Amino acid sequence: MPQPSLLTDDLVQQLMAVGQVDILVGIPTLNNASTIGPVVRAVHLAFARYFQRERTVLINSDGGSEDGTPAIVRDLSLDEPDTLVVRHALRTTHRISAPYHGVPGKGSALRQIFAAADLLQARAVAVLDPDVTSVTPEWVRALVAPVVGDGFGFVAPVYARHPLDGPLVTQLVRPLLRAAYGLRLAEPQAAEFGCSGRFAADCVELDVWDTPLAQFGIDLWLTGRAIASGCRLCQAPLGPRTVATGTHRPGLSETFGQVVGSLFTLLGTQADTWLPRTGSDPLPVLGPPAPPPAEPARLDGERLLQSFGTNVRDLKSVLDAILVPETESALEAAALGQPADLRFPDDLWVATVYQFLAAHHQGVMRREHVTQALLPLYLARTGSFVLQHAGTDAASVDAALEALCLEFERAKPYLVQRWTGAPSR
Amino acid sequence: MSGPSTHATDWYKDALFYQLHVKTFCDSDGDGVGDFRGLTSKLDYIRDLGVTCLWLLPMYPSPFRDDGYDIADYCSIHPAYGTMDDFRVFLDEVHARDMRVITELVVNHTSDQHQWFKEARSSREHPRRDWYVWSDTDDRYRGVRIIFTDTEQSNWAWDPGTKQYYWHRFFSHQPDLNYDNPAVQEEIWRAMRFWLDVGVDGFRVDAVPYLIERDGTSCENLPETHAVLKFLRRRLDEHYTGKVLLAEANQWPEDVRHYFGQDDEFHMAFHFPLMPRMFMALRLEDRKPLVEIVERTPAIPESCQWGIFLRNHDELTLEMVTDVERDFMYDEYARDPVARINVGIRRRLAPLLEGDRRRIELMNGMLMSLPGSPFLYYGDEIGMGDNIYLGDRNGVRTPMQWSGGWNGGFSSADPERLAQPVISNAVYGYQSVNVEAQRRTDHSLLNWTRRLIAARKSSPVFSRGSIVFLKPVNHRVLAFLRSLDREQVLVVCNLAGTAQAVQLDLKDYAGAVPIEMFGKSVFPRIGEAPYVLTLGPYDFFWFRLRRL
Repeated sequence: MPQPSLLTDDLVQQLMAVGQVDILVGIPTLNNASTIGPVVRAVHLAFARYFQRERTVLINSDGGSEDGTPAIVRDLSLDEPDTLVVRHALRTTHRISAPYHGVPGKGSALRQIFAAADLLQARAVAVLDPDVTSVTPEWVRALVAPVVGDGFGFVAPVYARHPLDGPLVTQLVRPLLRAAYGLRLAEPQAAEFGCSGRFAADCVELDVWDTPLAQFGIDLWLTGRAIASGCRLCQAPLGPRTVATGTHRPGLSETFGQVVGSLFTLLGTQADTWLPRTGSDPLPVLGPPAPPPAEPARLDGERLLQSFGTNVRDLKSVLDAILVPETESALEAAALGQPADLRFPDDLWVATVYQFLAAHHQGVMRREHVTQALLPLYLARTGSFVLQHAGTDAASVDAALEALCLEFERAKPYLVQRWTGAPSR
Repeated sequence: MSGPSTHATDWYKDALFYQLHVKTFCDSDGDGVGDFRGLTSKLDYIRDLGVTCLWLLPMYPSPFRDDGYDIADYCSIHPAYGTMDDFRVFLDEVHARDMRVITELVVNHTSDQHQWFKEARSSREHPRRDWYVWSDTDDRYRGVRIIFTDTEQSNWAWDPGTKQYYWHRFFSHQPDLNYDNPAVQEEIWRAMRFWLDVGVDGFRVDAVPYLIERDGTSCENLPETHAVLKFLRRRLDEHYTGKVLLAEANQWPEDVRHYFGQDDEFHMAFHFPLMPRMFMALRLEDRKPLVEIVERTPAIPESCQWGIFLRNHDELTLEMVTDVERDFMYDEYARDPVARINVGIRRRLAPLLEGDRRRIELMNGMLMSLPGSPFLYYGDEIGMGDNIYLGDRNGVRTPMQWSGGWNGGFSSADPERLAQPVISNAVYGYQSVNVEAQRRTDHSLLNWTRRLIAARKSSPVFSRGSIVFLKPVNHRVLAFLRSLDREQVLVVCNLAGTAQAVQLDLKDYAGAVPIEMFGKSVFPRIGEAPYVLTLGPYDFFWFRLRRL
């Protein structure tokens, strides 16, 4: 039986005309008409300013937009004064918009972009989020130049953000992945990244694309894949990341489930890679860091803690199956206090996360239930952290986050023990 | 005085020019310097190539500090090249072969050894003082660019005798004539008339944008300069027919357009910006720079024509490109810094293209099919090399390689006595690259070039037709249609070093049968659907579209 094609005949025709390229920038879209224009402009400006001699192409992989996104990508004029430099580029400017087929989601879009990169033998690939309004040409340069110039295989971004922002990353994803893989990645699940053409081509052939991981956690998976495959990683400061207001994003519960589910699943599939690693190493950061915003996003610590006690009581039967008694008791004790006085210390948080991860791996219950049960604990931990550090300067918060990462690292042998041991409380 | 048998007054529109240096073409008397007798003996070779007009580098008396572009006497022949009688014989023989000759007319400046300048600098009161441009200070016309950036630091030079500065746009030993003085204009016209009466068919006029200077301007392309040129053209038209004036104005097409005037200045002008973009397109494997410059080129009067070329006696000039493009060209075509001179690259065609026969053919194929009259530079038809270590631009002016024998057949003199050393390296040396060897091989570059020229001359569409670019999505493919009346020729070029497929939108020509112009092969009839072609690396096709 013939294999289904990743690329439509029409897209192959367009790619044939483009021919071999040095740099491919991919933008997955779905109904991004209101924000896609500036992103496309930034990409072409980057080509004209920083990659004048390289053969370049922008590929938009669209999931069936009904707001005219592909037409905007195709027809966007670059004749305005600020983009006139594009017209004076040495080479023909290529811009392609094509629908992707398969499971709806970013994974399918990326698979198409990677397949195109493979066909065009791209040396470097960068992927951008169409909803981000702070994209500049320098972002493209930052993500591509380490691949083209220095031979890196994967470039993860570093966003300029206040250390109290992005708690799901700072409290869970970043420290857990750092402890697991032994690499200090600032943004392990970034929507923007750069990679080598070889990495992209290798990914095309893997079995991930039809799984939920591709649908909901492809960014995390790619980072993990990059680490597991042994390619050279580096980080590139991009500056602040601002998402357009009004952009439809899933709610916290859905996001948490997708991210943590993907994170735990990823670790489950790559245990051979991370289990033996100890400690952590810094990654090269290519370029000067951008200053973070002076003010963090508003997080109401007390509100995050408000339902903690109720949640711990309601989830008792679930927590019984996941946590060891000492941890569960410590949580129950913490939940007794008033929200303003509640403290969720680092060691308790790390033990909680590791026990949840092991439970997810060992399948003590439906895995969705495991991740759902972690959400109220995560909110409490975040609320506690915010209250503890409200009013302190960013450097102090950074130091506290570093201490949390070190606690995750210190406790890793415990995780390994839980992971490899028999399911037990 | 004789003339060619073809009498169309706009013959230059269909001409195929061949540029050569008498000094290095053929030496008849064994003194190491080429001469008119030697050149005359090679006219059959030039005619057989398909050439219809010769362009001679300066053959006037000169101290040769700029290879003859420093003229010391406008109305005689340099004794090393022969006598006036030799020149007249040469001219008769050219015309007897239905070819023509244009000579170099350096109007902007003279040598500092010219009698005019010697008199002008003899005292401030001398009647010829005002034939040149003088100043008490060297800060007039501040900001005017320096052309020979490698050797000159100012456009002014000090004359210690009369304690004034004189103006020179080129070397300091080449003082600029003062065209604000009507006597200078008349004297230059007299020089032109002298040669026209001898029988030359026109002039390639050197450095025309710089004739007049005005404060607060770039001193280039000034209206007063155009007035001088219109004066010379008016005189020419009053006294002669069938002559041509060809402008060397290394400027953007929209600026060069003014040198055609309303058909009252030059008949022809070189299209300088096109040349580097052909090389750029080839290296980028992208038609963009070439298409852009052709589309940016304004229309010219019906009787006028562009002169197009790949290489000439000068450096591959990079004045009419952007900084980005210049850097690219240097990096791609002149990695060895010695190959760079002024704002350009001093290399011949074959070394620029790394001796790659396929690229040499493609570039010649484009040259012969783009709008304009093509100029071939002597020796490029056999793929001659260069010697970038000879200084200035002498490396691309080495002796013509006629055979594998003594001095490449150029001269019987001792090699040490030659005006320029012959190329003798293993790749481009006369032992391996020469006319005699290539004549014997049907598929040699020489014979291929001959067939290419014959194909071009088989249709007037190339010299007089319009051009429309097809712009298929594959940017590596350059495709255009040349049309004249009912004649249509489709040109398709693969700029890439890899095989390419291309779909051409030819539905406006549905029903036509493409006939490949070199082998006469018939290709599938054009229909409504996109016409698919595949081309090997650097392949090109010329198709005559026939309604059969």
